[in-house]
Amino acid sequence: MERTASPSRASSSRASSALVLGGALAAALAAGPLAAARGAAQLPPPAQAPATTLIFDPGGAQRVAVPDCIPKRADEASREACRTITQVLRADLKFEGLFRFVPDELMSAIKPLDPEHPDFTDWRGIGATYLVTLQAIVNGPDLQVEAKVYAPESGQTILSRRYSGKNDAPRSYAHQASDEIVALTGFRGVARTKIAFVSNRDAPAKGRQSKELYVMDYDGFNPRRVTVNRNINILPNWNPDGRSLSYVSYRQGQPDVYVASIYEGRSANLTNGRGQSFAPSFSPDGKRIAYSSNRGGNMDIWVANADGSGAHKLTDTAALDTAPTWSPTGQEIAFTSDRGGTPQIYLMDSEGLNVRRLTTVGNWNDAPSWNPSKQYSEIAYTSRIEGGFEIAVIDLASRQVRQVTLGRGSCEYPSWAPSGRHLTFSCGRGRSWQVAVADRLGQSVQTLTGGSNKNEQPDWGP
Amino acid sequence: MKTRLLAVPLMLVALAACGGSKRPPVVKGGPGGPSATSTGRSDGSTAPLPSDSGPDVQPVDNDMARGEDFTVSDPETGEGGPLEDVHFDYDQFSLTDAARTQLDHHGAWLKAHTGAKVMVEGHCDERGTVEYNLALGDRRAHAVRDYLVSLGVAGSQLQTTSYGKERPLDTGSTDEAWARNRRAHFSVSR
Repeated sequence: MERTASPSRASSSRASSALVLGGALAAALAAGPLAAARGAAQLPPPAQAPATTLIFDPGGAQRVAVPDCIPKRADEASREACRTITQVLRADLKFEGLFRFVPDELMSAIKPLDPEHPDFTDWRGIGATYLVTLQAIVNGPDLQVEAKVYAPESGQTILSRRYSGKNDAPRSYAHQASDEIVALTGFRGVARTKIAFVSNRDAPAKGRQSKELYVMDYDGFNPRRVTVNRNINILPNWNPDGRSLSYVSYRQGQPDVYVASIYEGRSANLTNGRGQSFAPSFSPDGKRIAYSSNRGGNMDIWVANADGSGAHKLTDTAALDTAPTWSPTGQEIAFTSDRGGTPQIYLMDSEGLNVRRLTTVGNWNDAPSWNPSKQYSEIAYTSRIEGGFEIAVIDLASRQVRQVTLGRGSCEYPSWAPSGRHLTFSCGRGRSWQVAVADRLGQSVQTLTGGSNKNEQPDWGP
Repeated sequence: MKTRLLAVPLMLVALAACGGSKRPPVVKGGPGGPSATSTGRSDGSTAPLPSDSGPDVQPVDNDMARGEDFTVSDPETGEGGPLEDVHFDYDQFSLTDAARTQLDHHGAWLKAHTGAKVMVEGHCDERGTVEYNLALGDRRAHAVRDYLVSLGVAGSQLQTTSYGKERPLDTGSTDEAWARNRRAHFSVSR
């Protein structure tokens, strides 16, 4: 059971208007990742918003109040569910970076919330542009949560939801509510998304080294193992449908591209030992997979249908071509090639024509990941900077480069959230590698995994 | 084929006797491995055979005669086994002189053991990306394979694969660890 909340997923709206990266970003680039104002990280949504919407204005005075969830019955189970839901929803909304919050001190200075009939005068008085109320009740194995969003200024109810399901995953209720609240802004929320990654956490202390695939919630909770073959399983990449992962496994001796249907526990070998195959990447429509293979005698970019049929070569040089990633439209592919002497990122159309070099700064730029949101025309990649490896992002229009990571050891394997507003990557050295997430500008970085093992190669999925 | 059966153990004994071995043979009567010798390439053709009159030895129909029954080796490094790892410079897949010298011996062993199948695994140190290192490991494995084939080893004995930086020998982050990890490893099956 992946999710327990009953409502269907909120339709995600993605802006399609062309947006120009303005002076704030240039300033952020010049000043380094830590110096830029947080507000510069976000671009405004399109103006075609429906009537019931949250006005997103990062530089403005809007504040969201998220008071504690109120149990509908004063039993410990309901109180416990409420505590979890409050904590998780606050963390989810904070992570999105879209809102400013009414401080706790102000909320505790007014009379307690009546969730059915809030005193809007009080909430206006402490500066709440939006008020999010939560109620929960546990009945045996079941949990019911009600979430509402009010605009105290007008007294309007912007969102009203009741989520009913099992009580085994209360966090998922908060994630559901967060995504629906974020959707009101015109942005896509990531609270219900999952991250696939590679770990040796279940490898035996001695003997053959093994790596398995795992998936976890976007906040690092609920890690679950996907592969169990005790071999090398690496380079995960989500099908955009969120139900399957492509990856590379050595389970039949040679590295082959596989696709695992993770909720059915099945996997299929797409390349079947025809050469060595690496770095699979699903097209945005999920119908094709690009990967690199030496099947033709040299490491080139190949593309096949999602079932492995119809494989054909897109590049054909004596150079090493690998790590393909698709543009949001599926019409272009970025990849790494050392045809110019050092690994650099190149672009081509998805038929393999019109190849041109993208990166020019530095002598090692590799492992590109194309921002899937059409709002941001940019590619994250791994760059060697002063002897170390860091995550960098290049803007495709201006060709300006910004550095996202600094001082975390080697960082690599960037992968964008479906929203395009955050990315994940892994950093470390030697035995310890951890998966981290950051906003587009790298102003806020959180580590999701721990321990003294390798947790690496994250891929952010739907 | 009798002379061939005879030639193999003799060659191996000759190799072991040449001196310059980096370590003692691990098993008495064992092959001694492809350890360094001063005579360069050994393809078996120089093993002395009696030629004056009739045979003074005859093949012994016993597994021991092959001198390879008790090879004791470290499966991780190949140390003590017939085919030790060869190493590479940082971000390089060209063969060093030391690697060529080792591979000359590997080639001799493979030509003397045509039943042996070898998976040549290319490995890298931890620097650089997963994807790039997989491709680099592939190039290393192919460089080794191509060289062995140039020595006359049958291509059908050799397969290649790359583990990139996914299976380090040494998980440290020192120059020494990195040097150990930049290797071609030989996984032998018969």
